[in-house]
Amino acid sequence: MADADLDFQTGDAGASATYPMQCSALRKNGFVVLKGRPCKIVEMSTSKTGKHGHAKVHLVGIDIFSGKKYEDICPSTHNMDVPNIKRMDYQLIGIQDGYLSLLQDSGEVREDLKIPEGDLGKEIESKHEAGEEILVSTLISPSSSSALCPERPLLFQITVLNAMDEEAAIGIKALGK
Amino acid sequence: GVPLHHGMPEVCAPPSMVSAEQRQHAEHVFLSFRKSKSPFAICKHILETSKVDYVLFQAATAIMEAVVREWILLEKTSIESLRTFLLTYVLQRPNLQKYVREQILLAVAVIVKRASLDKSINCKSIFHEVGQLISSGNPTVQTLACSILTALLSEFSSSSKTSSIGLSMEFHGSCKRLFQEEGLRQIFMLTMEVLQEFSRRENLNAQMSSVFQRYLALANQVLSWNFLPPNYILSLSRATQNVTLKPTESWREALLDTRVMDLFFTVHRKIREDSDMAQDSLQCLAQLASMHGPVFPDESAQVSYLAHLVEGLLSMINGIEIEDSEAVGISNIISNLITMFPRSILTALPSDLFTSFINCLTLLTCSFGRSAALEEVLDKDDMVYMEAYDKLLESWLTLVQDEEHFPRGCFVQPAIQVFNSYIQCHLAAPDGTRNLSVNGISSHEEEEINELQEDDRELFSDQLSSIGMLGRVAADHCIPLLTSLLEDRVTRLHGQLQRTQQHLMASSDLGSVDRKVLDDLYEDIHWLILVSGYLLADDPQGETPLIPSEVMEFSIKHSTEVDINTTLQILGSPGEKASSIPGCNRTDSVIRLLSAVLRTSEVESRATRASLTELLSPQMGKDIVWFLRRWAKTYLLVDEKLYEQISMPLSTAFGADTEGAQWIVGYLLEKVINNLSVWSSEAELANDTVELLVTLVEKRERANIVVQCESWWNLAKQFASRSPPLHLLSSSVQRSLMKALVLGGFAHMDSDTKQQYWAEVLHPLQQRFLNLINQENFAQISQEEAVKQEIVATLEALCGIAEATQIDNVASLFSFLMDFLSSCIGLMEVYSNTPETINLIIEVFVEVAHKQICYLGETKSMKLYEACLTLLQVYSKNNQSRKRSDATAEEDQYQDLLLIMELLTNLLSKEFIDFSDTDEVFRNQDQGTPASNRTVSAADVVLYGVNIVLPLMSQDLLKFPSLCNQYYKLITFICEIFPEKIPQLPEDLFKSLMFSLELGMTSMSSEISQLCLEALSPLAEQCAKNQEKDTPLFIATRHFLKLVFDMLVLQKHNTEMTVAAGEALYTLVCLHQAEYSELVETLLSSQRDAVIYQRLADAFNKLTASSTPPTMDRKQKVAFLKSLEEFVANVGGLLCVK
Repeated sequence: MADADLDFQTGDAGASATYPMQCSALRKNGFVVLKGRPCKIVEMSTSKTGKHGHAKVHLVGIDIFSGKKYEDICPSTHNMDVPNIKRMDYQLIGIQDGYLSLLQDSGEVREDLKIPEGDLGKEIESKHEAGEEILVSTLISPSSSSALCPERPLLFQITVLNAMDEEAAIGIKALGK
Repeated sequence: GVPLHHGMPEVCAPPSMVSAEQRQHAEHVFLSFRKSKSPFAICKHILETSKVDYVLFQAATAIMEAVVREWILLEKTSIESLRTFLLTYVLQRPNLQKYVREQILLAVAVIVKRASLDKSINCKSIFHEVGQLISSGNPTVQTLACSILTALLSEFSSSSKTSSIGLSMEFHGSCKRLFQEEGLRQIFMLTMEVLQEFSRRENLNAQMSSVFQRYLALANQVLSWNFLPPNYILSLSRATQNVTLKPTESWREALLDTRVMDLFFTVHRKIREDSDMAQDSLQCLAQLASMHGPVFPDESAQVSYLAHLVEGLLSMINGIEIEDSEAVGISNIISNLITMFPRSILTALPSDLFTSFINCLTLLTCSFGRSAALEEVLDKDDMVYMEAYDKLLESWLTLVQDEEHFPRGCFVQPAIQVFNSYIQCHLAAPDGTRNLSVNGISSHEEEEINELQEDDRELFSDQLSSIGMLGRVAADHCIPLLTSLLEDRVTRLHGQLQRTQQHLMASSDLGSVDRKVLDDLYEDIHWLILVSGYLLADDPQGETPLIPSEVMEFSIKHSTEVDINTTLQILGSPGEKASSIPGCNRTDSVIRLLSAVLRTSEVESRATRASLTELLSPQMGKDIVWFLRRWAKTYLLVDEKLYEQISMPLSTAFGADTEGAQWIVGYLLEKVINNLSVWSSEAELANDTVELLVTLVEKRERANIVVQCESWWNLAKQFASRSPPLHLLSSSVQRSLMKALVLGGFAHMDSDTKQQYWAEVLHPLQQRFLNLINQENFAQISQEEAVKQEIVATLEALCGIAEATQIDNVASLFSFLMDFLSSCIGLMEVYSNTPETINLIIEVFVEVAHKQICYLGETKSMKLYEACLTLLQVYSKNNQSRKRSDATAEEDQYQDLLLIMELLTNLLSKEFIDFSDTDEVFRNQDQGTPASNRTVSAADVVLYGVNIVLPLMSQDLLKFPSLCNQYYKLITFICEIFPEKIPQLPEDLFKSLMFSLELGMTSMSSEISQLCLEALSPLAEQCAKNQEKDTPLFIATRHFLKLVFDMLVLQKHNTEMTVAAGEALYTLVCLHQAEYSELVETLLSSQRDAVIYQRLADAFNKLTASSTPPTMDRKQKVAFLKSLEEFVANVGGLLCVK
């Protein structure tokens, strides 16, 4: 009888930006929309007013894009919005005019993502530059530097999050050769 | 004095005047001065001439240290004159700074103690001298005398307060024993004289009352003396809190003199308004009330002592209004005498006196209870009445538990009074006084309560146990009382909810509802249900709870007056008011009380159906299911075989194969299902509810009825489809729900039904899981929230299934779970970025191993080992790239590590607990798979795991108690079970394992130290077996020999570890006999005293006499352990120095 439920919707088709969930069913490390922003829940506690009161949930979340902290308190029976979050990994192939050039699995290149502001942006830029240099020096004198640092990565992977019609790079990781 | 006066200004100057270096240098001057040889003359000179307090202090310290150091070299007469000098010095200078005076007196006390065992010197005159000081009548001198006595007391107590003088514990013990026979009693007599004197005086000025107070405190110290019994070794580690008074026989005359006790009562009467002094005087009386042991020549002496105490106590309490500061003290006196005096002595009291005592105790309990309630209203920080009330209720429990020793029925009336007053304090006005302050005004504040606050049923469990017990003693009164109160409140609640509903129909604004009336009813019901639960049933851990005999007898006693049909009718109609049913007065009261709770439950359920959930109290919801669970465990399907006699109404209503039992199971099931859908947002209530469900199915007899209910099947289907509302429940509730559903599946059903059941419960789980993970794009969608939730829910369900394992279902559950385990390992890769999912995956393995390994035969165990090995491999690979945020080095960051260690420990536990059927092993051999061919063994898995764990367990991590305990449990298990594998470990792992053992032995808690000691014997035996010398393990054990030797012989261990240390020592001695002899020789040669040398040498000879040459033979080992006990008793105190 429940076979219809067993099917899992996959792909983007029909996925809305958020879906509702009863507050009490939220979990630490899960996601929730606080003050209109998609957040990761870092703290969750309950309390009640008076011995015979109903549970209220106190949520502390970190904006997944800006890192800002948001808090909210609401009755545990209330429905909260949970953002549909997509996480994608791309290979970084270049930086141009403040935009990242990212190689998709399909082979297409997307160039519509800005370098994020702040430390992460700087990290991406410097890692990318360093990677280029090593690449260059390895080409010029293959014996010396590859012998010194054979494990030195040349390629980087950028993690991009997409939630509530917003998209941003949130991490950089070395790819094995 | 020149160098000292050089250093002095720097030490004493304010921080701004001198540099840190100057100060350090100056301090160094003093320290080296104190070590200088025979500084007596110069010290005397300093004391007589210097005007600087700090220098005087240092001089006194130098004298004390030098006397002790040079004792043997000093002329006895010069010691005596030194003591006289110091005492005279203090006497002549009444204006000395307090800390200087105390230090000089300390030096005097140390000299007296050091001299007490020296026959060539006589310091006993000190008591005479002090006596003279006291009789001087001069308050200053008397204060000084008190200080001297206090200093003596703390030196001779040989406790942690005592100065270190570099002598053996045996010396300290002998001093103490001698002192408690003579000096202590002299101090006591002197103190009594002073107290006598002061209690006679009419008016005491401030100075005199201060002297009075000091001597009273001194008396308290004497009566709190921790008497060292003969043949008892003094141990510093022994806790000295709450010492009861157990004097030696020689104190008989002093303490059995009734004037002593009378004096303390008189003193208390005189000073009771001074709260500081009153605490001391009451504490003295409490110590006297705890007196026991050889001081009493016979029972009659004990009876008359107790009678005198009780008389004194009654006349003290009667006719006074008790001060706040007296409550705890008085309850301590009562609690001590009830705990310490044997029942036979209590019952031997004249019956009038005993009755008066019980009446007084009753009034006092009720009065403290009321005051405690007031304290709660006022939200006081210092809850003295609550503490006193707890103590008295505890005393009642002690009395009532031994009821058979006392005259029949003597506790019934008191029980009624205490019970009534408890109920009254917890009910709202007008029946009760809850939240009423002194002036009768009710306060009603809504405070914020966080999730960490304990529920009242735990917070007040001691009080409730006592009240429940008293309620059983007076069951005739208390059970009907609870019933009528609860029925009344429920009727009112019902009416109030109906009125509110009508109100809402008109205005539909919930905010306009006055919750005060409702909350008052909820709070009344809350307490009535808690008390009813504690009265009707116990909640013993791990054993079948029985219907309390008092309740059973009560029901039997009235069974002839009971109309069973009416009783059943009321039980079966929770929707009706009991009083509306004809003949309701002829019902069984025990069943009627349950019916009242069911009625409460029904009103609650109906309110939820009428969409009034928001008006209800989740707390009351918790109370109801808590009660029903406790009740069901004890009463549902009552097993007649367990009772001598059984009540007809109870067995007719709840016995096996009764309609009543079937009806109630169905009712409880409906309740559970309703709660789970209505209260998913209240985690604790949902949790209590699912626990009720588990209770219903964990016993096969109950489960058989449960699975006949259609609603059970609906619940199973609903949960399997993971649709609302059940999927909203918290993960722990879902886990328990899965556990309950699995347990239910092993109830009695015909095979078709059973097959159908599993098809409904387990197969969808598997199907959903496989459909999901076998999707081509699973890797892509795996991080989507919905997918993650599905995975987490599956993992939780798997844990729940493992938790449901019992001996008769393990075969089928194991196969089912095994199918999942390998898929779970695949998920380790997919979710390597989400630690909480990783932890949950490991937890599934932990649970399976924990619940099932002990039942598995060889082939099945091997399958599990293989799966675990693969898990560990993947874990290890992922762990290398895992980042842990060091900044927030918190315990939960290492949850995975803890779980891995738990898993390894669980796998090892099979070596201790194994219920598996050996048939399977034989079958395997028939099939030609001999044991030696097995691919993976427990040892392989565990050692592989240890390779992962050891490098990660840094000393920092050992600071987390849970990690530390789990780690040591694991490595000890390994040494015990696979000692042969230890030498094969890679060098660095071997080293860190040995280091861990040494660290655990020497600088961890005594529990861990004991674990490590237990690991040593198997290691030493392993070495002996191999007969290879100079292997790393052989060398390591040699090091451990020295450690254990020091630990035992120098008494650097807790006495409870002597056995573990002894066993380790013996095996190590067998292995390293030459090294052991060397250790003994070295120790002996360092002894300068010929007598001690001989005693030690003899003791060591005796120790090994029964086992020469030592061999690893059980008989010899036992003999050695016995000798070791004697050894420790004989010379254990000689080498431990303080």
